[in-house]
Amino acid sequence: MDTFEPVIVAFCCHYCAYTAADMAGSQRLTYPSNVKIIRVPCSSKVDALHIVKAFEMGADGVYVAGCLEGDCHFKNGNTRAARMVDYVQKYMDEIGIERERLEMVMMSAGMGYRFAQVATEITEKIRKLGPSSIHAAICRQHVDTCAVVVE
Amino acid sequence: MQTIQSQHSNRVLVIGGGMGGIRTALDLAEAEKNVILVDKAYAIGGLMTQLDRTFPTNNCDLCTLSPNLSEGSRQEFIELLTMTTVKDVKGEKGDFTVLLETAPRYINLDKCTACGDCHKKFPECVRFTPGLDHRAPTCMRYPQATPQAFSIDLAKCTDVEALMKCCPAGAINPDDMGRKREVSCGSIVFSSGGALFDPSHLDYLGYATQPDVVTSLEYERILSASGPTMGQLVRPSNGKQPKKVAWIQCIGSRGLQKGAGQYCSSACCMFALKEAIVTKERFQDDIETTIFFMDMRTMGKDYELYYLRAKNDFGVRFVRSRPHSILREPGKENLSLTYSAEEGGRNLTEEFDMVVLSTGFRVADDVKELAGKLGLQLNTSSFPKTDGFNPVVTSVPGVYVAGVIESPKDIPETMVQASAAACMAGRDLGITEKIEYEIAPLPLETLLVGEEPRVGVFICDCGENIGGVIDVATLAEFAGTLPHVAVAELKGHGCSRESMQQIEDTIKTERLNRVVIGGCSPRTHEAKFQEVVRRAGLNKYLVEIANIRDQVTWVHANHPDEATEKAKDLLKMAVGSVVRSQPLADHSLPMNKNVLVVGGGITGMTTALQLAEQGVKVFLVEKSAGLGGFAAGLWRTLEGNDIQAFVKDLISRTESHDNIQVITRAIIVDHSGMPGMFKTGMQTGKQMFYRQIEHGVTILATGALPNRPRLYLLDECEAVSTQRELQNLIEESPETVSSWDNVVMIQCAGSRTPDNPNCSRICCQNAVKNALRIKEINPEARIFVLFRDMRTYGFQEEYYQKARELGVIFSRYSLDKPPVVAASGSMVDVTFTDPIIGRQITVTADCLCLSTGLIADEDGNDELARIFKLPRTGDGYFLEDHVKLRPVDLPVPGFFVAGTAHGPKTIRESVGQALAVASRALTMLARDSINLGAAAAKVNRDLCAACLICVRACPFGIPFINADGYSEIDPAKCHGCGMCASACPAKAIQLMQFEDDRIIAKLEELFERNIA
Repeated sequence: MDTFEPVIVAFCCHYCAYTAADMAGSQRLTYPSNVKIIRVPCSSKVDALHIVKAFEMGADGVYVAGCLEGDCHFKNGNTRAARMVDYVQKYMDEIGIERERLEMVMMSAGMGYRFAQVATEITEKIRKLGPSSIHAAICRQHVDTCAVVVE
Repeated sequence: MQTIQSQHSNRVLVIGGGMGGIRTALDLAEAEKNVILVDKAYAIGGLMTQLDRTFPTNNCDLCTLSPNLSEGSRQEFIELLTMTTVKDVKGEKGDFTVLLETAPRYINLDKCTACGDCHKKFPECVRFTPGLDHRAPTCMRYPQATPQAFSIDLAKCTDVEALMKCCPAGAINPDDMGRKREVSCGSIVFSSGGALFDPSHLDYLGYATQPDVVTSLEYERILSASGPTMGQLVRPSNGKQPKKVAWIQCIGSRGLQKGAGQYCSSACCMFALKEAIVTKERFQDDIETTIFFMDMRTMGKDYELYYLRAKNDFGVRFVRSRPHSILREPGKENLSLTYSAEEGGRNLTEEFDMVVLSTGFRVADDVKELAGKLGLQLNTSSFPKTDGFNPVVTSVPGVYVAGVIESPKDIPETMVQASAAACMAGRDLGITEKIEYEIAPLPLETLLVGEEPRVGVFICDCGENIGGVIDVATLAEFAGTLPHVAVAELKGHGCSRESMQQIEDTIKTERLNRVVIGGCSPRTHEAKFQEVVRRAGLNKYLVEIANIRDQVTWVHANHPDEATEKAKDLLKMAVGSVVRSQPLADHSLPMNKNVLVVGGGITGMTTALQLAEQGVKVFLVEKSAGLGGFAAGLWRTLEGNDIQAFVKDLISRTESHDNIQVITRAIIVDHSGMPGMFKTGMQTGKQMFYRQIEHGVTILATGALPNRPRLYLLDECEAVSTQRELQNLIEESPETVSSWDNVVMIQCAGSRTPDNPNCSRICCQNAVKNALRIKEINPEARIFVLFRDMRTYGFQEEYYQKARELGVIFSRYSLDKPPVVAASGSMVDVTFTDPIIGRQITVTADCLCLSTGLIADEDGNDELARIFKLPRTGDGYFLEDHVKLRPVDLPVPGFFVAGTAHGPKTIRESVGQALAVASRALTMLARDSINLGAAAAKVNRDLCAACLICVRACPFGIPFINADGYSEIDPAKCHGCGMCASACPAKAIQLMQFEDDRIIAKLEELFERNIA
């Protein structure tokens, strides 16, 4: 499993988390390149379907990043998003994907360091978990092009 | 820009391009008034561009400010002259003649792409401002400078030919002459800003000799990502990270040191708190932060909460003391700071790695000279004298001040005054006929129906920023292989004028219908590229930006391979998403040009009059029976101005103005519509008839209420009163006052407590005002002011000083040990412990006066917030859109707030805000229609089951089930969060610009590449 590089999707709200990601850049902080950001206007725009689709397509980890509690530009979008993430987690065990692969995080626009820290921690966690069962299955079908070594 | 210059004096000259000057210029330009903005620096932005973060949100300053800067550079009503100084001013209001001198830049602004080649090859020739900028990496003070161009010091260049050749854009012009030019203008806004106190001569602080003693601005530069250490916090002496940092307040303020101003600089306490918090945020327990202060002056809106957060959440240590000296003992690395403890008065010495001096504001010598040229009268501290009730009006008609040059202040207050000055200066131009300018019409948008996507990918190298980490040529080659991509090109700095022109041309010649930019963040540059594609004849929503700088090369600089792979992913995702993008129409609405002002106090009347005098019809709605508000019951200001006369004059002018309709006894009951076409219903008069008003803008000036806490025997003992009641007594029966022996005042009665944590801002100066008046009437009276922190900010400090000189005794108490009050016949015994002498004292007072301050009108504001759907702060005041840069704009478009409805403030400050909202309203009213953008939720009626989930999900209550039985979302009211779209079980709702198929497309592109 040494060569395993997880693919992680981060849905980031425009006002806080995406800005924090830019801030991490302007502070020249580093974090693993495994994390790919998709910008949304508010974390509450992220649909359970988007998350499930990401896993279906082979994501090893997904997280939704919104503003700090009470700081949402749209009043309560971040808490709604957190509830939605909770909800999806409940079904993840059922479909055979560890619930740890999905997370909700909150940060302010100024927290570049926190963005980098979260991205690093989540990548490490997913790396330890190994490829998701769907990712592994996809790899079994495409052994020639897939980087993951499957036993 | 040149074509729209008017020959007459029908424009405003704004001197100083700091954020205040920029705001003034933008307000005027948006109200379609011509402006000349001059700044002596190479780029506009002023002091704020040198800050790292701003309180209280700790946002990056540059990110907050730079969109405003570029807005400034592209407004067609603004002529921007950098490197320009004012040499002479003649004439009078309505017809000034000003001589301007522009120094040569030796660089053609239209050609320079700010690539930095000249600076790399000929660093000695590239000019930079000495002083603080000795730490700046280039002459361009920050990466987002406006104008985005370098500047050459020709005198230092030995080989001009070679210098010219090194510029790939051919922008260097050694024959640049500079020029003098006479311009005429109708009014002048003087917003030169402040200089910072230079502590070099104070040898006991060691600033001149110890590299680890820095000023607060220098510390800010060290923290800043665009600073000399690229955001690494290191000690200047040895490059190591400090473990212990101290701040010393009031350097150059409050008359403490040689050469210091007599005033309080107002902003430094929050500045130091912010620096300490940001430091703690970044290093947590790895660093200790200590602030040495005299009085913690966090009197702004919600600033007290920030102070509490610093203390309780971040563990910043506070020591109430003025350190005596900073020394470094020979052979030692650390600085020894000596100070005396407040209690016990012992001398203590403590070691620190770094000491930050919180230096205050002063008026620079060249600014003083310029004030002389403008003919302005100055006060004893060399700031221009201003009107007692109108902070932006100077001694010269037609010349207005804004920002720190009026008095020391922070960013939001500067923004307020900047808008206020715009209001006053714009009025001097009179109401002019709208001039139709010849602006080249935009080409018609190409129809995309049936067309296959043809995507153009343009990749920036951003100098070394992107190109230095990944091979952009390979990236462009890769982009060229992606489906639908017709063109993939490198663009150097895509945001430079030249590159944008090239992109526009390529779109036309290659018949592109979608564009992807691989560059920096869409947060800062999307609007710019949207303009480009629009100019090229495409709908502006057909462009997508892949953020390969901020989120790739800047964060993976040490892993170029990984960075390249990620950049490829992001480009692929952007292409996949943009091919699914559809042309979107911005929503726009016709503008109703009437204004509703709610609240008939000083603020409401001032706003109404300003607007009415500029030709706007105003409905002024007041819930009580008459105009005047809270201030009608006040007598004099701290400075001695007659409030009653001022209010009477306002009332009579308001009531007699043809453009103002005053509606008293009015209670607002309903509200509907959208910015530009609101309908507000109210019940008015004794019979409570229902009436509806149509208007385009709503201004809230509903004021605040006097607090009346059940504390210290108030309402139980006759000798106990509030400051307001004391003031009445002083003015109405001075003989009572002259019979008094002892007066005690207790500050923060009901403020800064767990129940009401904020500071009421006005009480300290009220106490000083009343104490001075008592001393005037009865010089023998002994007055004790029991305070927690004396918050006499700005020039109020001088009155505080005067009160001390007259023998008023100020004694500090702390929240956990408040004074004890007991009735004693008709008198009151007040017992308190003075921390300096360390003894308990009991005063039998003829009068105990409580500084009770203001509280928000909880019921009234709650009602209005509900009807208008406006957010409020924790303590019930209306919450502005952006606490820093948009202090009087409410988050709901078309709503503004001014005066004490925004938070406690003085009359002068309320008038300032009243003028500012008038200016902000005028920027909206100048338009004939309102653009609402395109990011709104759209319901597909065929899929909608009218299940009400969207109705419940929307935080703003916008969706409703219409007569046809499906959910309807008004695009003009939709805030664009997408909550309804994600909640909708039938997926009947799509949020434009963020449609589900575009998000899924991104996922598909990402995983197609990475998996299988």
